[in-house]
Amino acid sequence: MKIEERASTHVYRQRQMLSKEDLEARESLCVHEQPAYCNAACPLKLDVKAMTAAIAAGDFDRALALYEKITPFPQLLSAGCEAPCEQSCKLCSLGEGISIRALESAALTWGKKSRGMSFLRKKPAAVGIFGGDLMTLFLAGELVKKRYPVHFYCAENDPRALVEHCVPGFSPEIVQSTAKILAAMDIQFHWNTDPAAAFRQAEQPLRAASYAVAASVFPGLEPDEALMVSRPQKLITGRTQGILGAAYGAKKAALSIDRMAQKLDPGSTRGEEGAVETKLYTSLDGVRPSSRIPVADRDSAIAEARRCIQCRCDECIKGCAYLQHYQKFPRILTREIYNNVSIIMGDHMMNKPINACALCGQCSVLCPNGYDMGEICRIARENMVFTGKMPLAPHEFALMDMLFSNEEAFLCRPQPGFDQCRYVFFPGCQATAIAPATVRSAYLDLCARLPGGVALMLGCCGAICHWAGRYELTGQTRRFLQACLADLGNPAIIAGCPTCKKELAEFTGLEVHGFWQLLEQIGLPDKACPVPRPVALHDACGARGDSGTQKSIRRIAAALGCQVADTPYSGDEAPCCGYGGLTQYTNREVARKMTEKCLERSDLPYLSYCMACRDRFAREGRESFHLLELVYGTAADHCPDISVKRYNRLGLKQQLLKELWNEEVISVDLGFTIDYTPEAEALMDDRMILKSDVIQVFQHLRETGEAICDSETGLYITRAREGNVTFWVKYRETDTGYLVVSAYSHRMKVVNRQ
Amino acid sequence: MADKNYYTIDPEGKLTCLKCRCKLQKDKAKFLYLDNGFPVELPVCPRCGFVYVPEELALGKVLAVEKALEDK
Ligand code: SF4
Ligand code: SF4
Ligand code: SF4
Ligand SMILES: [Zn+2]
Repeated sequence: MKIEERASTHVYRQRQMLSKEDLEARESLCVHEQPAYCNAACPLKLDVKAMTAAIAAGDFDRALALYEKITPFPQLLSAGCEAPCEQSCKLCSLGEGISIRALESAALTWGKKSRGMSFLRKKPAAVGIFGGDLMTLFLAGELVKKRYPVHFYCAENDPRALVEHCVPGFSPEIVQSTAKILAAMDIQFHWNTDPAAAFRQAEQPLRAASYAVAASVFPGLEPDEALMVSRPQKLITGRTQGILGAAYGAKKAALSIDRMAQKLDPGSTRGEEGAVETKLYTSLDGVRPSSRIPVADRDSAIAEARRCIQCRCDECIKGCAYLQHYQKFPRILTREIYNNVSIIMGDHMMNKPINACALCGQCSVLCPNGYDMGEICRIARENMVFTGKMPLAPHEFALMDMLFSNEEAFLCRPQPGFDQCRYVFFPGCQATAIAPATVRSAYLDLCARLPGGVALMLGCCGAICHWAGRYELTGQTRRFLQACLADLGNPAIIAGCPTCKKELAEFTGLEVHGFWQLLEQIGLPDKACPVPRPVALHDACGARGDSGTQKSIRRIAAALGCQVADTPYSGDEAPCCGYGGLTQYTNREVARKMTEKCLERSDLPYLSYCMACRDRFAREGRESFHLLELVYGTAADHCPDISVKRYNRLGLKQQLLKELWNEEVISVDLGFTIDYTPEAEALMDDRMILKSDVIQVFQHLRETGEAICDSETGLYITRAREGNVTFWVKYRETDTGYLVVSAYSHRMKVVNRQ
Repeated sequence: MADKNYYTIDPEGKLTCLKCRCKLQKDKAKFLYLDNGFPVELPVCPRCGFVYVPEELALGKVLAVEKALEDK
């Protein structure tokens, strides 16, 4: 099998990663941008959530600015608003909701009005308003804001009398302040006029002069309340209920006037109006019920506002270090990925995020609507591979490692003494790389205790290429494994790793058991090593949705005497350790944050059942063990480097071949030795340079003699190109070979130029 | 290709080709990656043409250009 680097950055194929409908259907699952419950309930579209946040932060000026945005008469509205938002407050389901009206009036009391200036030009079409009532009063204010010239005809003789007539029953202060605002407005008042008579007189000439006409409801007008329009008479009017109804009616009326002034049908393309249904989800986990704090002064207003939990959905982000790192919600991330994948030429800014997701599916469980960001990233990767936009560099090491597992280190044999076996043990590439001794014990135990024979298959299940989006390689790998399984007579598979279990079940069509399930059948071996200690159990992302596995692991842990402590985000909600989706290779920073996120759940030692998790936790300095280590009393290697991981796989194969099948593997003698300084070893692990790469460089050196000497450091330097990479080695000569002091690599080819 | 050199590194006489026993000199070379080319001047053996890419260059500029091209 071969992995090809893409040929060019200029030549692409084209294919949509998702159909528009599929994209929209997926995006619509995310309710993050849905309005908060309070906001949704307000027909005037007050941003209650933002206003509350402003007050909580002591910023009453901003709170006032938000409130004034929705109405020309804030005092009046605040004094009489029926406040449907208050019943809709999320906190009502727990204790008492926020006193939103009290906070509005706090904003009015302690907020300073900003001297906002309107830069709108005055509109050419004027509006005549005939008769004062609550709705027309608000309407006059709305129209002044929109810069219509307004003529107001009424029977009263001054603003105060007009307001008193429009809003009977309010306190003198409210009437006074509203009248003051009204008087200051750019309105031409026609006092002491009988509005009905003026209406009849003025109707024709006004209409002819392209005036819009708004009248309080006279007999004979037939209003369409949804638009506040009386269609036969082509004028604005309507009945409203209460203060809020009037304020909302005035808004609808003002919008109809806009439409009519543009000679458009007032009923069409009005946009979203009024209160809406919100689909928001907000978790109340960890929120304690609380009671209203009476608002008497600034401090009590701030305290009441601080009870607001700023409703929003961030269930996925709370659990996922990757989403936290990019600070984006799945819906937005999806759209950006979609757009970026579609770009033909230019920078693909989203490659990093696409390749940094662990494809672990945690989001799909945490999200109330099952948003699966991982699936989007996986589809995007496959699409990029197809179109030729996927760089090989981020995944090449992992893919080569998989090829190593399935070629050089691959082993497939029936149990000695059996032609056909009932089972085949598939420990997985990570277990053999990190804990070869444990794998050996496990296999020998299965052979001894399971009737019917247990074949062995050492290799990779193909998760690596599946994660990398290399669909062709995935197909090849799966066909190869299927052929090997067929050779064994298609036995039932015993997977040592939950991800292998999942992958193998997906394509083999065979019976696939977890190793743990078999252990429960046959019981723990004698050498099991009880750990009577509290441990934090980390569920593998490969076992998400596999409650059988999760439960089985817990029973075995209990049988081993472990006191398993419950951590947040366990079971199906478990985060990925940073290995999944190849994050460890593509983005170390994000992978590390993922590991830290796993470890922040508990201070206890971590018990896991995926070897990759076990290894990553140990690397972060946490005491960490894999269930099989305890079951067989054999420890895994402590943080093996990339070369040891390969050596372990090959070594295990050779050991078992010799021990069980009497096949001696003749190791080729290089004819020279290579030693490494400790610094060089650490550096190579960090730079993903294998010892086998270095061997090739020296073999090339011995064939060609090509090297240089740096007189300043006294070091020799040589290089060789292997596949897509040039490896450089700095070394000294020793009696028998070489001492490697440093190594580095680059992917660009370097050539001479004339 | 514009005749701009992306980087120039002078060996300053401290590097010797082991095979040819002569000093490396600043000379013309070119980096190639994914169908893109970048002319450079690097230490080169005047006899066998061995082009030396120093560690700092490989891990610095070269890596940065590689990454930028990979996301094109
Ligand atoms: S959990 Fe995340 S993806 Fe799901 S609705 Fe909430 S913010 Fe959106
Ligand atoms: S808690 Fe705050 S944001 Fe949530 S509904 Fe109530 S007032 Fe609105
Ligand atoms: S890392 Fe896991 S939880 Fe986070 S977005 Fe990717 S698949 Fe979802
Ligand atoms: Zn030379």
